[in-house]
Amino acid sequence: MDVLLPLAQAASGVTDDGLKSIALGIGAGLGSIGAGIGIGIIFGKEIESVARQPELKDELQSIRWLGFALTEAVAFYTFIFGLIAFFL
Amino acid sequence: MSTKRKVLIGLLLYFAITAILILVVGNEGKNDEFQPQNEFLLTPWIAINIAGIDFSITKAVLYLGLASAATIASMTFIASRMQREPNKVQMAVELAYDLTRDNITRGNIPDQKLARRWFPYLAGLFFFIWFSNMLGYLPLPTNTEHKVDIFGLAVPTLAIYAATANISIPLALALVSTAIYHIEGIREKGFFKYFASWLPGGLEDMNVFGKAAIFSIEAISHLVRPISLSVRLFANILAGHLLILFMAGGLAVLLGFAALGALTFPMAFAFFVFEIGLVATLQAFIFSTLTAIYIGGATAESH
Repeated sequence: MDVLLPLAQAASGVTDDGLKSIALGIGAGLGSIGAGIGIGIIFGKEIESVARQPELKDELQSIRWLGFALTEAVAFYTFIFGLIAFFL
Repeated sequence: MSTKRKVLIGLLLYFAITAILILVVGNEGKNDEFQPQNEFLLTPWIAINIAGIDFSITKAVLYLGLASAATIASMTFIASRMQREPNKVQMAVELAYDLTRDNITRGNIPDQKLARRWFPYLAGLFFFIWFSNMLGYLPLPTNTEHKVDIFGLAVPTLAIYAATANISIPLALALVSTAIYHIEGIREKGFFKYFASWLPGGLEDMNVFGKAAIFSIEAISHLVRPISLSVRLFANILAGHLLILFMAGGLAVLLGFAALGALTFPMAFAFFVFEIGLVATLQAFIFSTLTAIYIGGATAESH
Protein backbone atom coordinates (compact mmCIF):
# COMPACT_ATOMS: atom_id res chain seq x y z
CA MET A 1 0.00 0.00 0.00
CA ASP A 2 2.95 2.33 0.60
CA VAL A 3 3.66 2.25 -3.12
CA LEU A 4 0.19 3.52 -3.94
CA LEU A 5 0.36 6.47 -1.57
CA PRO A 6 2.28 8.83 -3.90
CA LEU A 7 -0.13 7.86 -6.66
CA ALA A 8 -3.10 8.73 -4.47
CA GLN A 9 -1.50 12.02 -3.55
CA ALA A 10 -0.87 12.82 -7.18
CA ALA A 11 -4.43 11.88 -7.98
CA SER A 12 -5.74 14.65 -5.73
CA GLY A 13 -4.61 17.15 -8.38
CA VAL A 14 -6.49 15.41 -11.18
CA THR A 15 -8.28 17.76 -13.55
CA ASP A 16 -10.90 17.07 -16.15
CA ASP A 17 -8.45 17.94 -18.92
CA GLY A 18 -5.89 15.54 -17.53
CA LEU A 19 -8.37 12.68 -17.47
CA LYS A 20 -9.45 13.52 -21.01
CA SER A 21 -5.84 13.46 -22.19
CA ILE A 22 -5.36 10.05 -20.60
CA ALA A 23 -8.54 8.83 -22.26
CA LEU A 24 -7.38 10.12 -25.64
CA GLY A 25 -4.00 8.45 -25.24
CA ILE A 26 -5.44 5.10 -24.14
CA GLY A 27 -8.15 5.15 -26.79
CA ALA A 28 -5.83 5.98 -29.67
CA GLY A 29 -3.28 3.47 -28.42
CA LEU A 30 -5.77 0.62 -28.09
CA GLY A 31 -7.17 1.43 -31.51
CA SER A 32 -3.72 1.19 -33.04
CA ILE A 33 -3.27 -2.38 -31.74
CA GLY A 34 -6.02 -3.74 -33.95
CA ALA A 35 -4.89 -1.82 -37.01
CA GLY A 36 -1.29 -2.91 -36.42
CA ILE A 37 -2.26 -6.58 -36.27
CA GLY A 38 -4.41 -6.15 -39.37
CA ILE A 39 -1.65 -4.51 -41.41
CA GLY A 40 0.74 -7.24 -40.33
CA ILE A 41 -1.68 -9.92 -41.51
CA ILE A 42 -2.21 -8.18 -44.86
CA PHE A 43 1.49 -7.89 -45.67
CA GLY A 44 2.25 -11.36 -44.32
CA LYS A 45 -0.45 -12.96 -46.45
CA GLU A 46 0.67 -11.01 -49.47
CA ILE A 47 4.25 -12.23 -49.09
CA GLU A 48 2.91 -15.77 -48.69
CA SER A 49 0.81 -15.52 -51.82
CA VAL A 50 3.63 -14.04 -53.90
CA ALA A 51 5.93 -16.81 -52.69
CA ARG A 52 3.39 -19.37 -53.88
CA GLN A 53 2.45 -17.70 -57.16
CA PRO A 54 5.02 -15.08 -58.20
CA GLU A 55 3.20 -14.45 -61.50
CA LEU A 56 0.31 -12.79 -59.60
CA LYS A 57 2.58 -10.18 -58.02
CA ASP A 58 1.30 -7.15 -59.96
CA GLU A 59 -2.33 -8.03 -59.38
CA LEU A 60 -1.78 -8.55 -55.67
CA GLN A 61 0.06 -5.27 -55.30
CA SER A 62 -2.97 -3.02 -55.88
CA ILE A 63 -5.15 -5.20 -53.66
CA ARG A 64 -2.51 -5.01 -50.94
CA TRP A 65 -2.46 -1.20 -50.97
CA LEU A 66 -6.26 -1.11 -50.89
CA GLY A 67 -6.31 -3.41 -47.86
CA PHE A 68 -3.50 -1.51 -46.21
CA ALA A 69 -5.25 1.85 -46.54
CA LEU A 70 -8.60 0.46 -45.37
CA THR A 71 -7.02 -1.12 -42.30
CA GLU A 72 -4.81 1.84 -41.51
CA ALA A 73 -7.86 4.08 -41.50
CA VAL A 74 -9.26 2.16 -38.51
CA ALA A 75 -6.48 3.51 -36.32
CA PHE A 76 -7.36 7.02 -37.45
CA TYR A 77 -11.06 6.54 -36.69
CA THR A 78 -10.19 5.87 -33.05
CA PHE A 79 -7.88 8.88 -33.11
CA ILE A 80 -10.63 11.12 -34.46
CA PHE A 81 -13.17 9.83 -31.94
CA GLY A 82 -10.58 10.42 -29.23
CA LEU A 83 -10.16 14.00 -30.42
CA ILE A 84 -13.93 14.48 -30.47
CA ALA A 85 -14.14 13.19 -26.88
CA PHE A 86 -11.23 15.45 -25.94
CA PHE A 87 -12.71 18.64 -27.31
CA LEU A 88 -16.35 18.07 -26.37
CA MET B 1 34.75 -0.49 -39.40
CA SER B 2 31.84 -2.91 -39.57
CA THR B 3 28.28 -1.74 -40.22
CA LYS B 4 27.22 -2.88 -36.79
CA ARG B 5 29.69 -0.58 -35.09
CA LYS B 6 28.76 2.36 -37.29
CA VAL B 7 25.09 1.93 -36.37
CA LEU B 8 26.00 1.62 -32.68
CA ILE B 9 28.13 4.78 -32.77
CA GLY B 10 25.35 6.65 -34.57
CA LEU B 11 22.78 5.61 -32.00
CA LEU B 12 25.11 6.50 -29.13
CA LEU B 13 25.71 9.94 -30.64
CA TYR B 14 21.96 10.40 -31.04
CA PHE B 15 21.31 9.70 -27.37
CA ALA B 16 24.44 11.56 -26.23
CA ILE B 17 23.25 14.78 -27.89
CA THR B 18 19.94 14.42 -26.09
CA ALA B 19 21.62 13.71 -22.75
CA ILE B 20 23.95 16.72 -23.14
CA LEU B 21 21.00 18.96 -23.99
CA ILE B 22 19.11 17.72 -20.93
CA LEU B 23 22.11 18.62 -18.77
CA VAL B 24 22.71 22.01 -20.38
CA VAL B 25 19.20 23.33 -21.03
CA GLY B 26 17.06 21.34 -18.65
CA ASN B 27 13.33 21.55 -18.32
CA GLU B 28 11.84 25.03 -18.57
CA GLY B 29 8.41 23.92 -17.51
CA LYS B 30 5.13 23.94 -19.34
CA ASN B 31 4.72 26.68 -21.90
CA ASP B 32 1.37 28.47 -22.13
CA GLU B 33 2.21 31.32 -24.49
CA PHE B 34 2.95 29.62 -27.78
CA GLN B 35 0.39 27.09 -28.94
CA PRO B 36 1.51 24.98 -31.90
CA GLN B 37 -1.97 23.57 -32.37
CA ASN B 38 -3.02 27.01 -33.63
CA GLU B 39 -1.44 25.90 -36.89
CA PHE B 40 -4.84 24.39 -37.65
CA LEU B 41 -6.84 27.43 -36.55
CA LEU B 42 -8.76 29.06 -39.39
CA THR B 43 -8.68 32.82 -38.89
CA PRO B 44 -10.89 34.65 -41.39
CA TRP B 45 -8.70 36.85 -43.62
CA ILE B 46 -11.58 38.44 -45.49
CA ALA B 47 -14.80 38.12 -43.52
CA ILE B 48 -17.80 37.37 -45.72
CA ASN B 49 -21.15 36.61 -44.16
CA ILE B 50 -24.14 35.93 -46.37
CA ALA B 51 -27.48 35.23 -44.69
CA GLY B 52 -25.91 34.00 -41.48
CA ILE B 53 -23.61 31.51 -43.22
CA ASP B 54 -19.88 32.04 -42.91
CA PHE B 55 -18.22 32.34 -46.34
CA SER B 56 -14.99 33.92 -45.02
CA ILE B 57 -11.78 33.54 -47.00
CA THR B 58 -9.42 31.49 -44.80
CA LYS B 59 -6.27 29.44 -45.15
CA ALA B 60 -8.33 26.44 -46.23
CA VAL B 61 -9.91 28.42 -49.07
CA LEU B 62 -6.45 29.48 -50.26
CA TYR B 63 -5.23 25.88 -50.27
CA LEU B 64 -8.38 24.72 -52.03
CA GLY B 65 -7.85 27.33 -54.74
CA LEU B 66 -4.17 26.45 -55.05
CA ALA B 67 -4.91 22.74 -55.39
CA SER B 68 -7.60 23.34 -58.03
CA ALA B 69 -5.36 25.75 -59.95
CA ALA B 70 -2.42 23.33 -59.80
CA THR B 71 -4.56 20.44 -61.03
CA ILE B 72 -6.09 22.32 -63.95
CA ALA B 73 -2.92 24.19 -64.93
CA SER B 74 -0.54 21.23 -64.89
CA MET B 75 -2.92 18.88 -66.69
CA THR B 76 -3.85 21.34 -69.45
CA PHE B 77 -0.22 22.42 -69.82
CA ILE B 78 0.96 18.85 -70.31
CA ALA B 79 -1.95 17.97 -72.56
CA SER B 80 -1.31 20.97 -74.81
CA ARG B 81 2.31 20.08 -75.47
CA MET B 82 2.21 16.34 -75.92
CA GLN B 83 5.16 14.97 -77.84
CA ARG B 84 5.81 11.80 -79.71
CA GLU B 85 8.97 11.21 -77.72
CA PRO B 86 7.91 12.10 -74.20
CA ASN B 87 10.21 13.70 -71.66
CA LYS B 88 10.24 12.56 -68.06
CA VAL B 89 7.37 14.75 -66.84
CA GLN B 90 5.08 13.64 -69.65
CA MET B 91 6.03 10.02 -68.95
CA ALA B 92 5.10 10.39 -65.30
CA VAL B 93 1.77 12.05 -66.07
CA GLU B 94 0.99 9.41 -68.71
CA LEU B 95 1.74 6.74 -66.13
CA ALA B 96 -0.68 8.36 -63.67
CA TYR B 97 -3.26 8.72 -66.46
CA ASP B 98 -2.92 5.03 -67.27
CA LEU B 99 -3.30 4.20 -63.57
CA THR B 100 -6.54 6.17 -63.29
CA ARG B 101 -7.93 4.78 -66.57
CA ASP B 102 -6.97 1.12 -66.53
CA ASN B 103 -6.49 0.35 -62.87
CA ILE B 104 -8.97 2.57 -61.05
CA THR B 105 -11.79 3.02 -63.57
CA ARG B 106 -11.82 0.00 -65.88
CA GLY B 107 -10.61 -2.39 -63.19
CA ASN B 108 -13.60 -1.65 -60.96
CA ILE B 109 -16.40 -0.70 -63.38
CA PRO B 110 -16.96 -3.66 -65.70
CA ASP B 111 -19.46 -1.83 -67.95
CA GLN B 112 -17.35 -0.05 -70.60
CA LYS B 113 -19.96 2.66 -71.34
CA LEU B 114 -20.21 3.51 -67.65
CA ALA B 115 -16.44 3.44 -67.26
CA ARG B 116 -16.07 5.97 -70.10
CA ARG B 117 -18.74 8.18 -68.54
CA TRP B 118 -17.19 8.30 -65.08
CA PHE B 119 -13.50 8.23 -66.00
CA PRO B 120 -13.16 12.07 -66.06
CA TYR B 121 -14.68 12.36 -62.58
CA LEU B 122 -12.52 9.60 -61.10
CA ALA B 123 -9.34 10.91 -62.70
CA GLY B 124 -10.16 14.44 -61.60
CA LEU B 125 -10.79 13.18 -58.07
CA PHE B 126 -7.44 11.39 -58.03
CA PHE B 127 -5.42 14.34 -59.34
CA PHE B 128 -7.21 16.93 -57.21
CA ILE B 129 -6.71 14.98 -53.98
CA TRP B 130 -3.11 14.20 -54.94
CA PHE B 131 -2.26 17.84 -55.62
CA SER B 132 -4.08 18.93 -52.49
CA ASN B 133 -2.18 16.41 -50.35
CA MET B 134 1.16 17.26 -51.90
CA LEU B 135 0.65 21.03 -51.53
CA GLY B 136 0.00 20.30 -47.87
CA TYR B 137 3.63 19.30 -47.36
CA LEU B 138 4.98 22.46 -48.98
CA PRO B 139 5.62 25.12 -46.33
CA LEU B 140 3.85 28.30 -47.45
CA PRO B 141 3.74 31.68 -45.67
CA THR B 142 0.20 31.33 -44.35
CA ASN B 143 0.54 31.56 -40.57
CA THR B 144 -0.83 35.08 -40.10
CA GLU B 145 -0.77 34.78 -36.31
CA HIS B 146 2.99 35.22 -36.20
CA LYS B 147 4.82 37.57 -38.52
CA VAL B 148 8.49 37.52 -39.34
CA ASP B 149 10.42 40.61 -40.43
CA ILE B 150 12.21 40.28 -43.77
CA PHE B 151 13.81 43.58 -44.87
CA GLY B 152 11.11 45.60 -43.15
CA LEU B 153 8.32 43.54 -44.67
CA ALA B 154 6.06 41.69 -42.25
CA VAL B 155 5.73 38.25 -43.84
CA PRO B 156 3.60 35.54 -42.25
CA THR B 157 5.66 32.63 -40.99
CA LEU B 158 5.82 29.41 -42.94
CA ALA B 159 3.22 26.81 -42.10
CA ILE B 160 1.94 23.57 -43.54
CA TYR B 161 -1.75 22.97 -44.05
CA ALA B 162 -3.76 21.08 -46.63
CA ALA B 163 -7.24 21.52 -48.02
CA THR B 164 -7.83 17.84 -47.28
CA ALA B 165 -6.78 18.29 -43.63
CA ASN B 166 -10.10 20.07 -43.16
CA ILE B 167 -13.13 17.80 -42.82
CA SER B 168 -15.39 19.90 -45.06
CA ILE B 169 -13.55 19.27 -48.34
CA PRO B 170 -13.27 15.46 -48.09
CA LEU B 171 -16.88 15.41 -46.86
CA ALA B 172 -18.07 17.39 -49.89
CA LEU B 173 -16.17 15.07 -52.24
CA ALA B 174 -17.52 11.98 -50.45
CA LEU B 175 -21.10 13.25 -50.60
CA VAL B 176 -20.78 13.89 -54.34
CA SER B 177 -19.38 10.37 -54.82
CA THR B 178 -22.19 8.85 -52.74
CA ALA B 179 -24.87 10.74 -54.66
CA ILE B 180 -23.31 9.63 -57.95
CA TYR B 181 -23.32 5.93 -57.18
CA HIS B 182 -26.90 5.97 -55.87
CA ILE B 183 -28.14 7.91 -58.92
CA GLU B 184 -26.20 5.68 -61.30
CA GLY B 185 -27.61 2.57 -59.64
CA ILE B 186 -31.19 3.89 -59.82
CA ARG B 187 -30.70 4.85 -63.48
CA GLU B 188 -29.39 1.41 -64.32
CA LYS B 189 -31.96 -0.71 -62.48
CA GLY B 190 -34.95 1.44 -61.61
CA PHE B 191 -35.87 2.87 -58.21
CA PHE B 192 -37.29 -0.15 -56.35
CA LYS B 193 -35.13 -2.71 -58.10
CA TYR B 194 -32.01 -0.80 -57.05
CA PHE B 195 -32.93 -0.88 -53.37
CA ALA B 196 -33.95 -4.52 -53.70
CA SER B 197 -30.49 -5.22 -55.12
CA TRP B 198 -28.93 -4.17 -51.82
CA LEU B 199 -29.91 -7.60 -50.51
CA PRO B 200 -27.16 -10.12 -51.19
CA GLY B 201 -28.00 -13.09 -53.39
CA GLY B 202 -29.00 -16.50 -52.05
CA LEU B 203 -31.66 -15.25 -49.63
CA GLU B 204 -34.69 -16.38 -51.63
CA ASP B 205 -35.82 -18.88 -48.98
CA MET B 206 -35.63 -16.44 -46.08
CA ASN B 207 -38.79 -15.05 -44.43
CA VAL B 208 -39.67 -11.34 -44.47
CA PHE B 209 -38.24 -10.49 -41.04
CA GLY B 210 -34.87 -11.96 -41.85
CA LYS B 211 -34.76 -10.06 -45.11
CA ALA B 212 -35.73 -6.82 -43.33
CA ALA B 213 -32.96 -7.32 -40.77
CA ILE B 214 -30.36 -7.87 -43.47
CA PHE B 215 -31.71 -4.95 -45.48
CA SER B 216 -31.34 -2.61 -42.47
CA ILE B 217 -27.73 -3.75 -41.98
CA GLU B 218 -27.05 -3.04 -45.66
CA ALA B 219 -28.75 0.36 -45.33
CA ILE B 220 -26.49 1.24 -42.40
CA SER B 221 -23.44 0.21 -44.39
CA HIS B 222 -24.55 2.50 -47.24
CA LEU B 223 -25.11 5.37 -44.78
CA VAL B 224 -21.68 4.91 -43.23
CA ARG B 225 -19.89 4.96 -46.61
CA PRO B 226 -19.67 8.76 -47.02
CA ILE B 227 -18.54 9.11 -43.40
CA SER B 228 -15.81 6.48 -43.67
CA LEU B 229 -14.73 7.80 -47.08
CA SER B 230 -14.31 11.36 -45.83
CA VAL B 231 -12.91 10.58 -42.38
CA ARG B 232 -10.31 8.22 -43.87
CA LEU B 233 -8.81 10.94 -46.06
CA PHE B 234 -9.21 13.74 -43.52
CA ALA B 235 -7.80 11.80 -40.56
CA ASN B 236 -4.83 10.49 -42.54
CA ILE B 237 -3.76 13.94 -43.66
CA LEU B 238 -4.53 15.60 -40.31
CA ALA B 239 -2.64 12.93 -38.37
CA GLY B 240 0.30 13.24 -40.75
CA HIS B 241 0.44 16.99 -40.27
CA LEU B 242 0.07 16.66 -36.50
CA LEU B 243 2.89 14.11 -36.37
CA ILE B 244 5.22 16.29 -38.45
CA LEU B 245 4.29 19.36 -36.40
CA PHE B 246 4.82 17.72 -33.02
CA MET B 247 7.94 15.81 -34.00
CA ALA B 248 9.58 18.81 -35.69
CA GLY B 249 9.52 20.78 -32.45
CA GLY B 250 5.94 21.32 -31.37
CA LEU B 251 6.25 18.78 -28.58
CA ALA B 252 9.49 20.31 -27.27
CA VAL B 253 7.99 23.81 -27.36
CA LEU B 254 4.70 22.76 -25.79
CA LEU B 255 6.39 20.96 -22.88
CA GLY B 256 9.24 23.49 -22.62
CA PHE B 257 11.64 20.57 -22.80
CA ALA B 258 14.28 21.44 -25.40
CA ALA B 259 16.22 18.18 -25.17
CA LEU B 260 13.17 16.31 -26.40
CA GLY B 261 13.53 18.16 -29.68
CA ALA B 262 16.86 16.51 -30.44
CA LEU B 263 15.22 13.13 -29.91
CA THR B 264 12.13 13.77 -32.03
CA PHE B 265 13.55 15.89 -34.86
CA PRO B 266 14.96 12.99 -36.94
CA MET B 267 11.56 11.29 -36.62
CA ALA B 268 9.97 14.35 -38.26
CA PHE B 269 12.08 13.68 -41.36
CA ALA B 270 11.07 10.03 -41.35
CA PHE B 271 7.38 10.90 -41.11
CA PHE B 272 7.74 13.57 -43.79
CA VAL B 273 9.24 11.07 -46.23
CA PHE B 274 6.58 8.50 -45.30
CA GLU B 275 3.77 10.98 -45.83
CA ILE B 276 5.06 12.27 -49.17
CA GLY B 277 6.17 8.91 -50.48
CA LEU B 278 3.21 6.80 -49.47
CA VAL B 279 0.25 8.41 -47.74
CA ALA B 280 -0.40 11.35 -50.10
CA THR B 281 -0.60 9.17 -53.21
CA LEU B 282 -2.21 6.21 -51.46
CA GLN B 283 -5.09 8.25 -50.06
CA ALA B 284 -5.83 9.82 -53.46
CA PHE B 285 -5.74 6.33 -54.99
CA ILE B 286 -7.99 4.85 -52.30
CA PHE B 287 -10.56 7.61 -52.51
CA SER B 288 -11.04 7.29 -56.27
CA THR B 289 -10.77 3.48 -56.21
CA LEU B 290 -13.50 3.20 -53.59
CA THR B 291 -15.72 5.60 -55.54
CA ALA B 292 -15.22 3.41 -58.62
CA ILE B 293 -15.93 0.26 -56.60
CA TYR B 294 -19.14 1.80 -55.26
CA ILE B 295 -20.28 2.81 -58.76
CA GLY B 296 -19.38 -0.64 -60.09
CA GLY B 297 -21.18 -2.35 -57.20
CA ALA B 298 -24.34 -0.26 -57.53
CA THR B 299 -24.67 -1.04 -61.23
CA ALA B 300 -23.56 -4.68 -61.19
CA GLU B 301 -26.10 -7.23 -62.43
CA SER B 302 -26.12 -9.39 -59.30
CA HIS B 303 -25.04 -8.14 -55.92
